[in-house]
Amino acid sequence: MRIIGSVWFRFREMRLRTLPSTLWKGWRSLGPTAQGLGIVLAVLGGLGPVLPVALFVFLILFMIYAAWAYSINLITGMTGYVSFGHVVFAGAGAYALAYGVTAWGIHPLAGVVAAGLTGALLALGVGVVTLRLRGAYFAIATLVTALAAVYIVSGTPALGDGSGIRFYLGFQIGTQYYAIWTLLASEIALTWWVTRGRIGLGLRALRDDEDAARAVGINVPRLKLFLYVLSGGFAGAAGSVFTWFNSSAFPDAFQLAYSLDMLAMIIIGGMGTLSGPWIGAVVVNVPRQTLLKLLPQGQPIVIGLLVILIALFLPGGIVGIIRKYIPEARRYLE
Amino acid sequence: MADPATLVASLVYGILLGVVFAAIAHGLNLIWGVTKVVNAAHGEFIMLGAYGAYFLNLAWGLDPLLAALIDAALGMIVGVAFYFAFLHRELRGKERIGHQTEMVTLVATFGLALFLVNVTTLAWSMSPVGLRYNPGNAVLGGVTVPLGGVYVGIASLGIIAATHVFLTRTYLGNAVRAYSQDITAAKLMGVNPTTVAALATGLGFAMTMAGGALLTVYLRVGIRPDIGHLYAPISFVIVVLGGPGKMWGSLVGGITVGVLIDVLQVFIPTEFAYAAAFLLVIPVLALAPEGILR
Repeated sequence: MRIIGSVWFRFREMRLRTLPSTLWKGWRSLGPTAQGLGIVLAVLGGLGPVLPVALFVFLILFMIYAAWAYSINLITGMTGYVSFGHVVFAGAGAYALAYGVTAWGIHPLAGVVAAGLTGALLALGVGVVTLRLRGAYFAIATLVTALAAVYIVSGTPALGDGSGIRFYLGFQIGTQYYAIWTLLASEIALTWWVTRGRIGLGLRALRDDEDAARAVGINVPRLKLFLYVLSGGFAGAAGSVFTWFNSSAFPDAFQLAYSLDMLAMIIIGGMGTLSGPWIGAVVVNVPRQTLLKLLPQGQPIVIGLLVILIALFLPGGIVGIIRKYIPEARRYLE
Repeated sequence: MADPATLVASLVYGILLGVVFAAIAHGLNLIWGVTKVVNAAHGEFIMLGAYGAYFLNLAWGLDPLLAALIDAALGMIVGVAFYFAFLHRELRGKERIGHQTEMVTLVATFGLALFLVNVTTLAWSMSPVGLRYNPGNAVLGGVTVPLGGVYVGIASLGIIAATHVFLTRTYLGNAVRAYSQDITAAKLMGVNPTTVAALATGLGFAMTMAGGALLTVYLRVGIRPDIGHLYAPISFVIVVLGGPGKMWGSLVGGITVGVLIDVLQVFIPTEFAYAAAFLLVIPVLALAPEGILR
């Protein structure tokens, strides 16, 4: 009786204490970087109802770019396989939403989900064939898939024959804002999760030496495919929000320039890190939305030079430089 | 349905086009095969070669064949400079090219591509320019073809044959091939790795830029700073088809792609013909990742 009583007492005490303390422990275990990103996301989410329309537009475009950066970070940043044609997923997602909304009249949010599935399926198809090969072949295969997609879309009457699909769904800027916010938040959570524990260790081994990782029993092909499918899905979903925001899908959605922007964001920010894609999105997208009107070619020239310098001399991007020279900042920038 | 005459005509056009594609892809093939590095800015150097031909034509009225010679000399200089600026730091002292090197060079040359496209757009604008080169027509196998295409095709074959002779019949060429097969063994035989890699890169660039000059004959819509976005992927496809480092692979791959694009257009819309040529890479990578040549 005494034993049962003490067990009950302990159980009750545990139940009373656990919820707040586990939450607090969980929050502490996130680490300062994830906490910081979480706070920024919470502020962005909370600001939603009181934002003026101009800021809505700015933030939606920024978050679409950030979502693309986190998406390409999942495959290129985590594994080192350069995905040159990442825009193909964004474009496929864009057309999935546009087609679903115009031909079947589905709700745009369902269109975003369908776009995510389209992107993931496409990534599965390309990934099964090419992820077994070395990095350069993968880069080329993704690039030509993106180009082939432009030609296929431009020649298909059901997809507007190259002149695109236009639709008008009314003023839905709030829904769009929270759709891309949710996507971005889940990507950041996923990135955080992937960099920890077994998967994170496996990834680090894979990036340093693929053969060695294979030899110690990591299922390298499955790990790469898993990340690529997730990456394709998120890129597709973010691309569909872009289309929804623009109320139209054109073959221009497959423009190589988007691929290059996505890649530049993670190279500049820091590949395979949690905060790098965010920093890269700020560096690439904010000047584009503010200074672009002055000199359209100026920004890509600067970004091209930055990419060369960072690739050759400062691998690790902005996050890598700060972590190298300011050891105290390491905890805050993962 | 297509009649035989149309089919034969598109076959002849396809072969002529494919030979020029082969010359362009050959530069990429040589660099990839020897240094194991993929130059993501390949298309931008094709574009610079094409602009070179245009400006030489504008200044001195040179035709693309002569311009290709000057482009090749320029390409040699640019290529050696490119080697020391981009590849030397990564390749120096390495006896096996790993994943890390591959990624760093891909990303750095990608930055170069972004830089070059936008600098040339700023300098020469996006509006296309063209040059006049029309030496008349000839009849080839019952098909009337423009003589310009024939000359350019012969020049392309000449470039590929000259490379073959250089690589198999000269001391330096043998050193290049030895380096591409086994860096350690080549060094033991007294080959200086830096000289050989720089030379191969320079030659690759010379061919790329000369190929860009020859290509101007086929650029009906004109030369624009972004033509590399089409012709670089075509070169990648050709090299993957033939297998990187296999010198006849460029010719086989080039003619395959050229014929495929021109013959398929008889049956299906142009857009799908191009898409099919690009997507050809996926089954080839799945079934024969070393290329279709044994």
